[in-house]
Parts: sequence; structure tokens; C-alpha cells
Amino acid sequence: MNSAKLACVLGLSIVAAMLAVDGRAVRAASEPAAAARSAAESVYAAAPPRLLQIRTLVADAGRQTSIGSGFLVSADGFAITNYHVVSQVALEPKTFKLEYVAADGSRGDATLLNVDLANDLAVVRLDKRDAPFFTFDEAALSGNLIKGEQLYSLGNPLDLGFTVNQGTYNGLVGRSYNERIHFTGAMNAGMSGGPAVTAEGRVVGVNVAKQAGGELLNFLVPARFAAALLKRAREQEPVADFRGEIARQLVAWQSGLYKSFGDDGFRSTVLGPYRAPETAAPWFNCWAQTNAGAIPRPRARVKSTNCRSETGLFVASDLNTGVIQLSHSYISTAELNQFQFASFLTQLSQPRTMGGGATRKWFTPERCHEDFVSAAATPQHPPLRVIWCARAHRKFDGLYDVALVAVTEDNGSEALVSRLSLQAVGYDVAVALSKRFLEAVQAGK
Amino acid sequence: MMWIEILSRHRDITSRVRMPGPEVRVGRGYDNDIIIDDPYVAAQHLRIFRDEAGQLVAEDLGTANGTFLDGGKSRLARIVLDGKQPIRIGHTYLRVREPHHEVERERVAGTALRMLPIVVAAALGTLAVAVELLRVWLAQTAEPKLSNYLAPALYLATGILCWVGIWALLARIFSGRSHFLRMLLIALAGTLAFSLYDELAQFAAFAWTWPIARNYQYAVAWLILAAVCILHLREISPSRLLLKGALVTACVAAVIAVQALQQSEALFDTGRETTARRLMPPAFRLAPVRDEGTFFADIVKLRAKLDGDRSQAGADEEK
Repeated sequence: MNSAKLACVLGLSIVAAMLAVDGRAVRAASEPAAAARSAAESVYAAAPPRLLQIRTLVADAGRQTSIGSGFLVSADGFAITNYHVVSQVALEPKTFKLEYVAADGSRGDATLLNVDLANDLAVVRLDKRDAPFFTFDEAALSGNLIKGEQLYSLGNPLDLGFTVNQGTYNGLVGRSYNERIHFTGAMNAGMSGGPAVTAEGRVVGVNVAKQAGGELLNFLVPARFAAALLKRAREQEPVADFRGEIARQLVAWQSGLYKSFGDDGFRSTVLGPYRAPETAAPWFNCWAQTNAGAIPRPRARVKSTNCRSETGLFVASDLNTGVIQLSHSYISTAELNQFQFASFLTQLSQPRTMGGGATRKWFTPERCHEDFVSAAATPQHPPLRVIWCARAHRKFDGLYDVALVAVTEDNGSEALVSRLSLQAVGYDVAVALSKRFLEAVQAGK
Repeated sequence: MMWIEILSRHRDITSRVRMPGPEVRVGRGYDNDIIIDDPYVAAQHLRIFRDEAGQLVAEDLGTANGTFLDGGKSRLARIVLDGKQPIRIGHTYLRVREPHHEVERERVAGTALRMLPIVVAAALGTLAVAVELLRVWLAQTAEPKLSNYLAPALYLATGILCWVGIWALLARIFSGRSHFLRMLLIALAGTLAFSLYDELAQFAAFAWTWPIARNYQYAVAWLILAAVCILHLREISPSRLLLKGALVTACVAAVIAVQALQQSEALFDTGRETTARRLMPPAFRLAPVRDEGTFFADIVKLRAKLDGDRSQAGADEEK
């Protein structure tokens, strides 16, 4: 009985697939029951031959180590997926290889052609010809999509089978350095690289990430980046040395990031008697914190602000980089003596280059330098105890992770601890930014 | 008339016999004046008598293993005895002395000085505990709790007493006297030396920006421990102090080397230094404030080191 029902649905699907491809004229002519079917149904029905599961296999074992989704975008076998779905193949081509499984059950080998690291996209080519494919939505490419439009996100969550999730287009994500579409709808691991389509089945974006801790909050890479990557893959030879290409793209991306960060500049914020630099770039997420209500009652008051850029970039499963962080803590006490206050500051001022990834694989050991520094010999510039720690990215020449900590040394019972952390930054850029940062740490009175 | 002393392996006297006659025979057999139960000694091993000049002489009676001066390697048929250097037959040491052998003057028992070591030990002990409590107090940033102070003081006192107890026991076993008070003084002095160095190192690391003082703190801690051990050993017995000192130094050098290796390997693995950077009150700053340009010039120099690390890592990977 069940199987009979399933066969019936499948039969209908095939009809619906034809409908979506052939357009409205055909739909009008079809049976009334079919016309009443929801858009989700028709999207689902149209998807199978063009929707893919992209599997990363251990070449020797022939078994998958990770799975994601993807979709065909041309009749000659070009398909789009996420870079993070194929990153293992890009970085370790000898160890891993790609395989696709289409929603209609066909499977075969896939070859990685090109990647777009900044937008987490990759284009692969399948040994599949003359199959139906997805087209990009014109309105989405030109950025004229209307907020509130219903979108359907497709993919294969957790290897459970292909699914369609209905959701809403909410425009671009604010406070994001990389352009992302804010999509409200369910998304799960394994759907990465799948398309998000309109009711007509045209691609608006590529599933890329969900907000940890959010409900139904998801991000899509806008379709125009996928279209651009596809164009590049068609026009250029396939990339031979992906490590080199990834390094090149990472360097290009971070140089834009830090230029933008530097150009937006710092503005001054007041913390107790001090003034501290805050970034003026819009793509930071800032929070304030205080220990005022803590029990047991703290013997020194801490007021902090912390700004973190929304720029984490996936490079490998064990390396996320490109985050900028600024934080300031104003600490004052009436209860601790000067030594105890110094001990308190000690706990707050240990330098730490931010996580980022598997340490030994990606980074050289940290090297630090510390000293008493004053930006200028004026009363506005208090003496600072500055600690600078840096580590080099082993696999990316010219990139470093830097952590700067400055503690004001003008008062035994109040102080400002300022931190600046820069991931994947050029050394000279880091030095220049640190200089500006230190110069902006001032005693305000 | 003469005195014959049988010595232990440590050259302490185990028995002493007064021989009234002009000649003494020594050996394992029962026809001797002195019987030595040492399987390496001959039944008739030694004859001790006065020669024409009146000196005491030991004469080997043609034995298989021979007779030696203590520490000597050549067997001697005839040895003139001076009352100072023992002789060895088999595994046994003997010393022969005249009745008029001169002894050292008696020591004067100092009544006034008797209390001094006790007072000094008590003072040092109090100081060591006080320094520990001061350290806890200066680092106290949370709510003060009594146990924060009592526990370290108790651990320190117990630790020192156990340490001293073990050394006193060793001294009692090997030299017969425990020298508890002196051992205590040595341990307390060591503890204080370490506390003092620790504070100085932290101070130097902050005030003059000499992180090196802090980074090699462990080496200094081990060196202080070595000095303490050598002093303890000297109290047990001052003989062969050079050899003992060399052994202790070698052990400590090995430990320091292993720890340095461990630290460098840990840094290689985690990429992070393990030592904490301690801040002190601003008034403790002794180094001049650098201008920004000088500081960043140093930072720029750091780049070469990082790039060196990277190319090193790249070379390792290619292997």
C-alpha cells in the first residue's frame, strides 16, 4: 500500500518536472489537480536530476569522509557547490577525490575546476552530459529580488535524502563583510552547496551556513558570485595547483579586508578617564560587558567592550581565519592595593592569538615582544605596557596572526587594557594598524 | 705497646685493641693475636713489630692477596706505619698507633652559642612562611579566605619538615648523628633563596623588561636545589665532597636539559609560551618608556624570526 502511494508521488513528480522546465503555458494546460499543487511540490519534483550530493571520498578506501550538496548549472556537466564541501580535495588532492550522487540515483566522478574562497564556492565538472540543469534567477543576479519572497532551499541534510525547505528571502545580511543573503528557513549539515530557488525553480543563492545559536537563521551566497565563478571556470583552464590558488585568493581577500578596515578607521570611545579606539567599520559585532552584578562581589570593577568582525573565512576544516577583534576593558578598584590590582590586571592582559585552527599544522610558534611604550610624550598619552605576539601562517607566505595587548601604566588603581587581534594579516599592515591603535589609546582628561 | 684499630669501609673505627707485646700477628687463623674474619685475609697475614730504629713496621707474611697502603695500588712487603694512613689486607682496613700518638685539643663547649642555631632556624622558618603568606596576599584579587593563607603555609612547613627529616635520617644512618638543626637551616636558607630569586625575577621581568629572568626560572630553581643537596651531603660527611658535588651537579644539569627540551617541544606543539607575564604596580617601572618608533622597529625585526620559523617548517614538511 505504502509503495503504491510512493510510486504515485514519483509519477506525479515527473509530470511536475516537465512543467517547471516548460513554463506556464504547459502548466495551464495540465490537470486542475496538478495546478493546485504547492510551489514546494513542483520545486521538489523538478529537482531530482539536477540536484546532487557531493561526496568527498578517501581515494584509497573509496568511502566518504564528508558530504555536501551541489547542483548542475549547465548541460555539459558544470555544477556549483560550496568550497567547504570540497576543501579536502582542493588541499589534499592525492588523498581525496570527489563523487556525485544525483537525486535520481545516478552517480559518478566529479572533478574540481575552480574555487572562490571568499564566497565559499566551488565549481566541479561531472561526467554527466545533457542532463537538465538549474538556471540563475535574473532578478537575483541584478539584485532586484523582493524581500519576503518565498524561497526553497534544496539539499541532502545529514545524508537522509533530498529535501526542500521553504523559507523567506530577507535581503542581504547587515554587518557582514562578505555579501550574504539572509534566508529564514530550516537548514542542516549536508545541505551546504545546495541551491536556494524561487518558486519557478531559478537559483537565487547557494546554501552556505547557519547562524549557530539562531533559529532558522541561515545564509546564502548570492547567485551572482556563483554565476561569476562559473564564467571563470568556463573561460580559464582548470586550476592545477589549488594550494597556490587558495593562498593567492586568501592574500587578495585579506588585503581588501584590512584595507577596508584601515580606511574605515577608528573612532574614539570613552572608558572611565581613558579614550580608546573603536572601529568605524560597519561589519563588526560589538558587545559590552561588566562584572558589576557578579557574586561573590568583585573587588575590582571591569567594564569592557568587545568588537568582533563577522569575517571568519573557511579555509580548511581545521582553519577558520580572517577575524579582527578589538576589545577594551576599563578596570578600577577601591579595595585592592596596588600589587593586588596588578595581579588582577595580569589575569586580564595575557596575550593570546585567537584560536583559528589546528596550531601546529597551520602556524609557526608564537613570538612575542614586550616593552613600556608611549605613543607621544604628552599627558594625553600615558605610558603603556605593550605586548605584541605574532605567529606566521606556515602555508601562506606573508600572512601572520597578531595579538596586541596594551595596559596603561599611569595609575596604580585604575587601568585600561586594550587588545587588538588580527588574523591572516600582512606584517606591515599589522604594524601600521597597531601603531594607529596604540596612538588612539589616550588618557582623556 | 701499641694500639691496633680495625676500620669500617668509611674508615670509621669499629674496634680498637691495646696490644702490650712488642710484636703482633694478624690473620684469619687462631694462632694470631688479632683474628680477622675476612675470607680474603690469609691465615697468617701480617706481622707488626718495631724495627731497629724503633718505628712500627708491618710485614706481609707472603700472602696471596698482599698488603696495601689505604688508597695505594701496589702491594708492599714491608710498610712503615705512621699512625695516620691505614693499611689494607683483604677487604679490611687497619690502623696502628703508638700510645703517644698526638690527639687534637678538646673543643670548647660554647654556652652562649648553643641557642643561636635554634633562634636562627626559628627566625628563618618564620620568614619563609611569612614570605609565602605575603605572596598569597599580594596576589589576592578575589574575596579573601582564611584557607587561602593556611593551606600554603601548612604545605610549605610540612614540605620542609619532611625534606629535613629525610636528610636527618640519612645523616643518622651514615654518620651516626642526625644534625637536624643544621639540615633545617640549610633547607630554610634554600627556600628563602628561591623565594627571593622568584620575586627578583618577576620584578626584573617587569621593571627592566627582562623576560629572560622569568623564562629560565626553572633552571635557577634546580641550581638552588643542587646547592642545598650538596650542603646536606656535606653535613652527612665532608669526605669526597668534590665527587658528591660533581654527581649532584651532573644530575641537575641533566634535569635542566630535559626540562628545557620539554619546554621547547611543548612550544613547538602548542605554539604558545607557558610562562605568564606578570604585571606590577606602575611605580615599579625602572626601564624608560620607549617611543613608539623604537618599539615598532623591534617588532619589525621579529618578522625575520617568524619567516625563519616558517621556512624551517616548510623544509621539515618537504622531508
